[in-house]
Amino acid sequence: MGGIASSLQPGGVALDLKNVRRVFDDLVVIDRLDLRVDAGEFLAILGPSGCGKSTLLRMIARLAEPDAGRITFDPDTERFQTAFVFQDAHLLPWRTVLDNAALPLELMGMGREPRYQRAHATLKQVSLLNAESRYPAQLSGGMKMRVSLARALVTEPRLLLLDEPFAALDEITRFRLDNQLRELWRQRAMTVIFVTHSISEAAFLANRAIVLSRRGGHIKLDRWLALPSERNNDLRADPRLGREMKILLEAMEEE
Amino acid sequence: MNRRNFVLGAALLTACGKSSQKIRLALNWKPEPEFGPFYAAPYRKYGLDVDILPGGAGTPTVQMVGAGSAEFGIVAADELLVARSRGNDVVALFAVFQNNPQGIMVHASRKLTSIADIFRHPGTVAMQRGLSYARLLEKMYGFDKVKIVPSPNGDVSAFLHDKNFAQQCFIASEPLIAKRLGADVQVFPISDIGFNPYTDVMATSGDVLRSKPEMAKPMVAAAREGLRIYLDDPKPTNLRMQQLNPTMPLDLFTETAEAQRPLIETEETRRNGLGSMTKERWETLIKQLKDLGDIQNAPAGEDCFRSF
Amino acid sequence: MKNPSHNRDRKGALPAALPALIPFLVITGALELAVRGGLVRAYLVPAPSSVFRAMVESRDELIQAMLTTSASALLGFLLSTVAGIGIAVFLSSSRAIQRAFYPYAVFFQTVPLIAIAPLLVIWFGYGTRTVVASAFVVSIFPVIANTLTGILSTDPALRDLFRLYGASTLVTLFKLRFPAALPQILTGLRVASGLAVIGAIVGEFIGGQGLGSVVDIARTQQRVDKVFAAVLLASVLGLALFGLINLISYVTLRRWHASEQT
Repeated sequence: MGGIASSLQPGGVALDLKNVRRVFDDLVVIDRLDLRVDAGEFLAILGPSGCGKSTLLRMIARLAEPDAGRITFDPDTERFQTAFVFQDAHLLPWRTVLDNAALPLELMGMGREPRYQRAHATLKQVSLLNAESRYPAQLSGGMKMRVSLARALVTEPRLLLLDEPFAALDEITRFRLDNQLRELWRQRAMTVIFVTHSISEAAFLANRAIVLSRRGGHIKLDRWLALPSERNNDLRADPRLGREMKILLEAMEEE
Repeated sequence: MNRRNFVLGAALLTACGKSSQKIRLALNWKPEPEFGPFYAAPYRKYGLDVDILPGGAGTPTVQMVGAGSAEFGIVAADELLVARSRGNDVVALFAVFQNNPQGIMVHASRKLTSIADIFRHPGTVAMQRGLSYARLLEKMYGFDKVKIVPSPNGDVSAFLHDKNFAQQCFIASEPLIAKRLGADVQVFPISDIGFNPYTDVMATSGDVLRSKPEMAKPMVAAAREGLRIYLDDPKPTNLRMQQLNPTMPLDLFTETAEAQRPLIETEETRRNGLGSMTKERWETLIKQLKDLGDIQNAPAGEDCFRSF
Repeated sequence: MKNPSHNRDRKGALPAALPALIPFLVITGALELAVRGGLVRAYLVPAPSSVFRAMVESRDELIQAMLTTSASALLGFLLSTVAGIGIAVFLSSSRAIQRAFYPYAVFFQTVPLIAIAPLLVIWFGYGTRTVVASAFVVSIFPVIANTLTGILSTDPALRDLFRLYGASTLVTLFKLRFPAALPQILTGLRVASGLAVIGAIVGEFIGGQGLGSVVDIARTQQRVDKVFAAVLLASVLGLALFGLINLISYVTLRRWHASEQT
């Protein structure tokens, strides 16, 4: 618990993947991947379906072990400073929004009052205060995803991993959540790794994007995006965004 | 088959048409020596095509006969009287047991001297409480000293397990089984208390008697002959029954068949024929059941049975 | 956005029961006429009026019997709930354990009670314990099967989430897998409740007392009306237990599970 108290100024975490390899039933999903991520980066991982990006994310989350190679962290994170947002909100349906948001703290042994306070604050940040006592069955898709986000942020993680979190939502909600996520990243200065197969989303959100090959998890493109650090809806119409998207698209299309 | 043979065949069939109809005889227990006469009976000789339907625990033969799902059924006399009082027109035709083979078996080590004794000492008594004899026993001796439990239907393991366990039985059956398993058994016949209904009575419905009058007489004749055959030489019939009921070893069939003889062939049957019944016996039973309250309106004795 | 509309449901309870009553009344009326008119023989199927009369005549005996059977069935059911859930939790702990022990659980489903009846009597004696044992044996399997399915069907993403925050197996069991399995567990309990009543009645054929004993004795006495009266009461008991489970299901699931929401 000391880790949380001292992370009032979380600074993110740096990762180093060396020679990482992952095999499933004779299929080499990721074959000798090297990747270095600095603290505080917003990295987007792009690639077609089945290219291994979700597998990569789970290994970074330490939910799966690489079959070869190593992943090191700096500072070495204790588990609870990594947070994961899944493609579906995956809330516990028998708990209220507040209880869901507070879940990670509960699992780490925090008392009821302090964890409700923290959850309350995080829900405020994702603009969900009015829904605290509601149950997931009563929420829209976008609201559920915001609860999922709040849940991820409640432990003040140094590393935030997201696996196509907004894919199931409508475009307006997506845009809103994109903005909110970007804003949260700027406020907390954590490392964010965002897996997506949407080129526009990757370009809009990240300051660095890598494109994985169809097979074997090779990095076909590793690019720092030439875009301003302030991102808002105006950027959506900006030709610079289009240019970056074109570059990413070409990398994805070439085989 | 040419046309002439066909016509001939059809004529023959029509001639014995009525008696080549399938006749169902429902038993109220598994094939055991008590039904020997029915398995030995030469039905074909009397022009009957009989299907014997073995039974088990709780086979409702008296209802089956009443409902018409069997033309003939094996019932107990007291059961038949109760059925008649409920509007079920069943009629007795032939009684295998002149004397009631029911009894209560106890462990000999208890040194009990009579049925009354069983109810004077604490212990467990397993019997079908709904049967008339059980209610008679309750009336005569009261059940306050003993614990009454359901009858295990032929299984003797509870009896073997507990020295103070008494069990309803067929005199020629369960005691022999218990003896073979090492128990020292003493049996008290129910007839000791004066309750002696005809048992394993072949009965039919009033409907059958009226609509198919030519069926009952040959059926009784076949049963009578079957009983004679079985008394004289039970072995071949026992072999047949044992194949249908392999749970009982062949030597037990032999032993039981021997033990049940004195209940079947008596002075009465030597005079009036095997399986015969008298009005007096029926009227005695009717009175007993009426006193017990098991039947409300007493039927006339002669309505309950038919002699062939 | 949905709102729990349970208030609306409550008001509708009586009209909701009405459709179920109508077939009952129609059949009862038709049967009464059939027996009186001689179409159906009274000693085979009793007239509903005679069943009612038997109920009134023997009401003390029947009430006592019903209480006895209820107690045994309820106890047997509670035991199979606790043991069934416990066994399912044990089986869920590993694939190997499932493969080793699940077949023996299936034994409870398939064993014919009549065959093991003498054994039950030897172990538990005549009386309540055999009846409870019988109710237990007959009703436990659906609890095991449904609970196990429920526990094993937990969302893998949620399991990942719990792992991510270092939750122990036990914590994951109580805070995730169990609540998630609740709808499935309740399904199992619904099935088990009816079976517990049947098991108790059969146990009473073997061990004496209760409605089973009333049925057995009345059958021997050829009192079909009393048999039907006792059987009817046994059905009422089964319905009551089923209704109880439904109530529990409503209370625990109404906020969050589709099955309890309009």
